[in-house]
Amino acid sequence: MIEKILIANRGEIAIRILRACREMGIGTVAIHSTADEEAMHVRLADESVCVGPPPVLDSYLNKNAILTAAAISNADAIHPGYGFLSENADFAQMVEEHGITFIGPTHDHIRMMGDKITAKAAVKAAGIPVVPGSEGAVDDPAEAREIAKEIGLPVIIKAAAGGGGRGMRVAKTLDELDDALRIASTEAAAMFGSGAVYVEKYLNKPRHIEIQLLADNHGNVVHLGERDCSLQRRHQKVLEEAPSPALNDSARAEIGETTRAAIQKLGYRSAGTVEYLYEDGEFFFIEMNTRLQVEHPVTEMICGLDLVREMIRIAADMPLGISQEDIRFTGHAIECRINAEHPETFMPSPGKIGLYHSPGGLGVRVDSALYSGYTVPPYYDSMIAKLIVHGTNRNECLMRLRRALGEYVIDGLDTSIPLHQRLMAEPDFVNGDYDIHWLEKLLGLQ
Amino acid sequence: MSKSDKSPQSPTVDGDLVRQLAQLLEETGLNEIEYGQDDWHIRVSGGKTIVAAGPVATQAAGPAPVTADGSDDEDLSNYPGMITSPMVGVVYTSSDPDTPAFVKVGDTVEAGDTLLLIEAMKVFNPIRAAKAGKVTRILVNSGMPVEFGEPLMIVE
Repeated sequence: MIEKILIANRGEIAIRILRACREMGIGTVAIHSTADEEAMHVRLADESVCVGPPPVLDSYLNKNAILTAAAISNADAIHPGYGFLSENADFAQMVEEHGITFIGPTHDHIRMMGDKITAKAAVKAAGIPVVPGSEGAVDDPAEAREIAKEIGLPVIIKAAAGGGGRGMRVAKTLDELDDALRIASTEAAAMFGSGAVYVEKYLNKPRHIEIQLLADNHGNVVHLGERDCSLQRRHQKVLEEAPSPALNDSARAEIGETTRAAIQKLGYRSAGTVEYLYEDGEFFFIEMNTRLQVEHPVTEMICGLDLVREMIRIAADMPLGISQEDIRFTGHAIECRINAEHPETFMPSPGKIGLYHSPGGLGVRVDSALYSGYTVPPYYDSMIAKLIVHGTNRNECLMRLRRALGEYVIDGLDTSIPLHQRLMAEPDFVNGDYDIHWLEKLLGLQ
Repeated sequence: MSKSDKSPQSPTVDGDLVRQLAQLLEETGLNEIEYGQDDWHIRVSGGKTIVAAGPVATQAAGPAPVTADGSDDEDLSNYPGMITSPMVGVVYTSSDPDTPAFVKVGDTVEAGDTLLLIEAMKVFNPIRAAKAGKVTRILVNSGMPVEFGEPLMIVE
């Protein structure tokens, strides 16, 4: 059994992981930069190691320092959280080579899904529907034109080494295609170190629907339903909900089973999420995230499972305690990502928090590293809290979320709470009638 | 010197119990003892103040840093001539267990002299003096783990 876990992350997710460890009686080691000396995850952990100065490259992305911290603290395992090194196959490999358990999938699967071209090919072979497009990388404009004529315009050019919405260009006409291909490739090389790009059909009004999976080392795989993450700004999710207002039970069961069976066929282990675009009743694979996701709490609220605990159990070689037949979805959950930024201009707003009061009551959960008097450092992600609400149905959930947002006090900084309050009043959102372009259109209309 | 408070349900003050607890406090060096049964409890605390290491906490006490005592770091890391660790690792004060230490207190060093080694991932990194000076304090022992920013040595 795992007795001590080093948490290779910061902020709310570090606390999330720490809480699961505490509840399992597992010792915790926090790592932090000098900017996070007063961070809540450092204060709550049993032990802490300062790994570097504020810049992420020297601290939270510093593989050697983090591995050494694990060695000197005698940690049995490392949980990488999300972002940072969580999908760095080299790091996962290094950790395992040092005899430390990496709480996540194998480095081979991380690598497979990290390259968006091999990912697509692998899942397609396993039976997952994919977006029509090129079979592999495309660098010849003539080939791109042929593909575009075959699958139909508009098309989107994506970086093979990219992901998370970055490094993409849309071409609406064949004339735009040559430029889009060239620019996308140059940007990709600069951003991700590889100029390899592929071509896909561009969907007009899709929803972003993703399926959560859990797989153990013994061949057992379950799906935990879907999350609808269509509310995005610049490819960054703003709000997520489970279940999706767009799916009925049979659509859910079908895509859940298709995904589950494919992931089982691939021999995957640990938590993972398969992301789809959903349009006109059809699902199209876009990518797989081989880690725990930010929005995992909405799944936890409707399934009644602790996903971090499950990841730790899987890493300790225990079999999944549940089968697909045991899984029930109860009620509805919504998560609001609260960022330290101006709700309209989106200018980042780090700084010292004055009065802090988080909402409470039945069905209200706050995952955050904030506390009164804390100073939000300027070096890291602007997300400072997640407000997650559960209700017996979507309407109750919306009422509860409106109520909870009204109670939330974070003095001293600009936050996106007013933006979420605005969303609660939008008829389209209340009706569950939105796609991945909806939020940007709403904001553009200001 | 000892204070006690008890829940209102306790019918009489058990002086002997209080004295016993107070004595236990002194003998063991604890700050506070709480003892109870059924519907009453008694707490005896010593008169000493409890000093929190580091800045004021809300309710969580600071965790044990894996390496050295937190409160020393607060005082010393800005000391003139203090050399702090540029990395996480294990300190070695000599190149192997049988050779003498690179430096000892009182030695004069030139810029570029090796003061100690920090090992990480089986690689030994020499920590060198940035400028010439005299070693006035060595704060680490061979084999001790250190974190980034940890005070190592003072060269004035």
